[in-house]
Amino acid sequence: MILEKIKPYLPYMRKYRREMTIGIVALLFADLAGLSIPWLLKMVVDELPNNPSDSDLLGFGGVLFAVATVQALSRFGWRQYLFGPSRKVEFDISNHLFSHFLSLDKSWFQKQKIGDLMSRATNDLRAVRDFVGLGLLILVDCAVIIVSCVGLMLWINPSLTLVVLIPLPALSFLFLKYLPEIGRRHEIVQKHLSKITSHVQENLSGIRVIHAFVQEETEKKKFDELNREYIHKNLSVTRLFGIFTPSLTLTVGVAAMIFLWVGGEAVIAKEMSLGSFVAFNGYLLMLSWPMMGIGYVVNLTQKGQAAMGRIQEIFLARPGIVDDKKTVNSIDEFRGDIEFRDLCFAYPETDKSSLKNIQLKIPSGQILAVVGVIGSGKSTLAQLIPRLYEVNEDTLFIGGHSIRRIPLSVLRKNIGYVDQEPYLFSATLRENIIFGRDEASNDVVDDVVKKSGLLADLNRFPNGLETIIGERGVSLSGGQIQRVALARSLLLSPKILVLDDAFSSLDAETEDNILKNIREFTSGITTVMVSHRLTAVRKADRIILINDGQIVEDGTHDELLHLNGKYAQTYKNQALAMEMEITLQ
Amino acid sequence: MSELHQESLRDGSRDWVLFKRLVVYLKPYQTLVLLAVFFLFCVSILSLSGPFLTKIAIDDYIAVSDLEGLNKIALIYLVVLGVAFVCQFIQTYLMQYIGQKVMYDLRTETFAHMHRMSFKFFDRNPIGKLITRVVNDVEVLNEMLTSGLILVFSDLFILVGIFSMMFYLEWRMALVVCLVFPLLYLATWAYRIRARDALRKNRAHITRLNSFLEENLSGMSTVHLFNKEKGHEDKFRNINKDKVNEDLRSVYYNAIYLPSIDIFSALGMALVIWYGGGKFVQDQIQLGVLVAFLQYLQKFFEPIRDLAEKFNIIQTAIASAERTFELLDTPEDIADSHSSQTVKKVRGEIEFSNVWFSYKKDEDVLKDISFSLLEGESLAVVGATGAGKSSLVNALCRFYEISRGDILLDGISINKINKHDLRRQISLVQQDVFLFSGSILDNIRLGNSHLEVDQIKSIARSVNLHRFVDCLPDQYEQNIRERGSLLSLGQKQLLSFARALAVNPRILVLDEATSSIDTETELQVQNGIKELIRGRTSIIIAHRLSTLKNVDKILVLKEGRMAEYGTQKELLQKKGIYWKLYNLQAVNDVKL
Repeated sequence: MILEKIKPYLPYMRKYRREMTIGIVALLFADLAGLSIPWLLKMVVDELPNNPSDSDLLGFGGVLFAVATVQALSRFGWRQYLFGPSRKVEFDISNHLFSHFLSLDKSWFQKQKIGDLMSRATNDLRAVRDFVGLGLLILVDCAVIIVSCVGLMLWINPSLTLVVLIPLPALSFLFLKYLPEIGRRHEIVQKHLSKITSHVQENLSGIRVIHAFVQEETEKKKFDELNREYIHKNLSVTRLFGIFTPSLTLTVGVAAMIFLWVGGEAVIAKEMSLGSFVAFNGYLLMLSWPMMGIGYVVNLTQKGQAAMGRIQEIFLARPGIVDDKKTVNSIDEFRGDIEFRDLCFAYPETDKSSLKNIQLKIPSGQILAVVGVIGSGKSTLAQLIPRLYEVNEDTLFIGGHSIRRIPLSVLRKNIGYVDQEPYLFSATLRENIIFGRDEASNDVVDDVVKKSGLLADLNRFPNGLETIIGERGVSLSGGQIQRVALARSLLLSPKILVLDDAFSSLDAETEDNILKNIREFTSGITTVMVSHRLTAVRKADRIILINDGQIVEDGTHDELLHLNGKYAQTYKNQALAMEMEITLQ
Repeated sequence: MSELHQESLRDGSRDWVLFKRLVVYLKPYQTLVLLAVFFLFCVSILSLSGPFLTKIAIDDYIAVSDLEGLNKIALIYLVVLGVAFVCQFIQTYLMQYIGQKVMYDLRTETFAHMHRMSFKFFDRNPIGKLITRVVNDVEVLNEMLTSGLILVFSDLFILVGIFSMMFYLEWRMALVVCLVFPLLYLATWAYRIRARDALRKNRAHITRLNSFLEENLSGMSTVHLFNKEKGHEDKFRNINKDKVNEDLRSVYYNAIYLPSIDIFSALGMALVIWYGGGKFVQDQIQLGVLVAFLQYLQKFFEPIRDLAEKFNIIQTAIASAERTFELLDTPEDIADSHSSQTVKKVRGEIEFSNVWFSYKKDEDVLKDISFSLLEGESLAVVGATGAGKSSLVNALCRFYEISRGDILLDGISINKINKHDLRRQISLVQQDVFLFSGSILDNIRLGNSHLEVDQIKSIARSVNLHRFVDCLPDQYEQNIRERGSLLSLGQKQLLSFARALAVNPRILVLDEATSSIDTETELQVQNGIKELIRGRTSIIIAHRLSTLKNVDKILVLKEGRMAEYGTQKELLQKKGIYWKLYNLQAVNDVKL
């Protein structure tokens, strides 16, 4: 069971097997030196009644010191070469974990809570590190000390050793009874901490709503409850652990007591020298560390094991959208035409279709507008083009290739997708704009800034393009965020531009200007724009209206007006609002 | 070197201040702490009694072949063990209990304090950083209290105990051992400053790493769309590399320092053998004393080594404490003053009097805004993007402090009203809708737990949310996963309407809420809004002419200034911007 959970982590350790071997050898040497010290003391004690000379004593002291030096050097060795690799293993796992996150797709992330993922990548990973470094060290150390101490004790006095070790079977009882339960409770604690993290994360993300609705007290109360439970769960571990550790100490203590009693009698009966008695006592005392150590290892193992399981859950999540066997790597560019061939789509783990039998050919260079009511499926359609979700085989073709055959990086390099709620990173404006093309020259950047209608805003920022925007761009307005996102995509000079309700926070005039810019700029570039604002789409080459996952109206603006259907109705209402905006400018 | 020393002194005193402040958190559990320390003391004493009993056994009984005495000693030993077992259990449990309690106190305090901060604070602080404060840093402090602070006591007890024991047994030998101390002190000093530096830097890198991770997890789609996987992988690796380098540095310092203690320990033992052995030869000390002395000496360096190991924990904890206190010390920039009034029920009269407002110094986004609304009156604010419409709302709800002028609610300056009371009077529908994990019901209801499901349903019906919810498998109990990924933007918007309605406020503020809803839905919502603002003082920020239909007054903003303000009638006489808007409506045959 434990081994199963550790198994995936062995390769990380194998990478540092050299260092770790050195560390373990050093550990053995340290233990050896440690073990020889009671032996030396035994020699001293046995020698003392023979009136040793001053130089003999100095010699003993010298040897002792030399042994201790060896011990110290070896200790340096194991610290450096066992703890060092554990840090490196943590480094490797966290890098690997991050890479793995990068490979997972949107539908996976939608099921996760960021706070929980954070907790796994930080708290759990630390538990794994402690297990790999400290846990392994103590385990080896304890094993060595137990085996050699018991060995030496047997050598000094076999029968005494057997008597002294009578309390030991009590240990197996402890291990069998308590360990699994402690482990189970540990897992509960870790899970709960993750819940706390999620709560904090959600509170921080939604702080504006919470404050606006004066929900601070409710949230505090929830948090308070979570934390009370946390105390409770932690203490349930403590209750078991509080018995476990002292029991180990007690076992050694009882052994020491038996020794004092039986061993003392043996010395009185002259069956054993006083020096041997002292050495035996020394080794017995040395056993108390492994006993505590085992308790510690158990703690680390339980925590580490629970943590490993939780991290492994992430590693086991398979990236849904990746290049695979079907990918044709020779495709390094494509035309801008798009074809939906009888496409049906349902979001993963739902049974309701969001798109039904979509039949749509968008020739290269066409500007297609997609309109429809909330939840009609127009945004879903847009998100399929950059392959944020997976479609059925041979239902979506880009540039004549089935989308699943185009290498992902080629696909996305040539498709600009601007979101409803774009995500910006806490960096400078420039860094956000050149996000997809680090090497872009200043001229190119200036150009897209102008096209995205950001120029006027830029002058209002203290450092222009070098202004650092807060996390997610909090210091920008909604409209500014959307335009930065547009600039970011335009910079890619994409073959296909998907605007998924990308200008919802802009006023009509700004939107119109930007659209004019894009129209000039995008000549020859296929554009799919999803919009609620019909006034903005009327100049599109073609407009489709989606309702309940199906295309119900299809044609140019004039054609659709003539049709006098849903589109025409909505358009009339919106034209008015448009004119209002213009008046306000 | 002297500079380093200065630095170390300064750090030392700062650490001490932090340390003292942390100890304050133990105060409510004073009695328990004393109990824990007492039991710890017992455990330490009892654990020291082993060698002492051995000494007595050797010198007084084994050496003189007194079997009965030996039996007695064995019995005493057994009793000691039993008592030690009980004490250790109690002490472990008490310590954990105190630690958990303190952690709870600190965590809830930090959380509560976080909620006291204004939006300015959240604009500045990344979420990842704040999570680290509330969750990880506090967890570290707990570790320090339980396995650090209290155990330090026990180590000190043991240290003092052993030292006294050694003096009691043979004071001259104890003095000889003291020769090692200056070396020990020097080594410790040299270790401390270096280790602290490495640990501090390490923590800073961890914060950086967490922020980066959080940002990437939240914006993963963007990373994918721009093919930035490789770039971000490298960036992560670099930050991680910085962190692991500091990690390795601390490992190295420990690897040098801790074994050096072993050398000092061995030096001490060698001195004792040479000096004490000589004394024994000269018949000045008993063999049992020498044996016990050597055993104690071995134990003597254990707590020192232990303290050094704990130094890591303590340093990490100090760094965590520093950051936690830094958060707790961040002043509440929008604080309620002592004279703050509790306001339970308002009529809903709003007055802006010469209000100036800016997010950053010298960049006014609202300039000299004045208007007033009587109870139940409604105001439409119109203006182009960036004209300052949203800022008006931020100022009214006191999310940010205005720079000049005054805002009055029922004639009372909002600075003098308890800010929570103020916000309770106002329902706000914001541009971005944030959904909490939980059910649709929870999200509409928020904290208003007194609302029945039927009431919620009728609210949902009035904003046309009901028909969406009805289609969901679990309807109102449907769990909307975090950030409401499964709802469309428009559906979220409708939900936020319902949420605002559930509060049943005196004042309603709609901030551009209609902009991303398609026209069909908006028409339905318009009817709901008409119901909603009836009898309530309302401020509506809209881009649509249809919204203007139902309001009493209109404010036209242009670049932060009031371009026009007045009733419809007044503005029409003015023949300005609103007049143009009105003509638009007339031409298009919209009823006003």
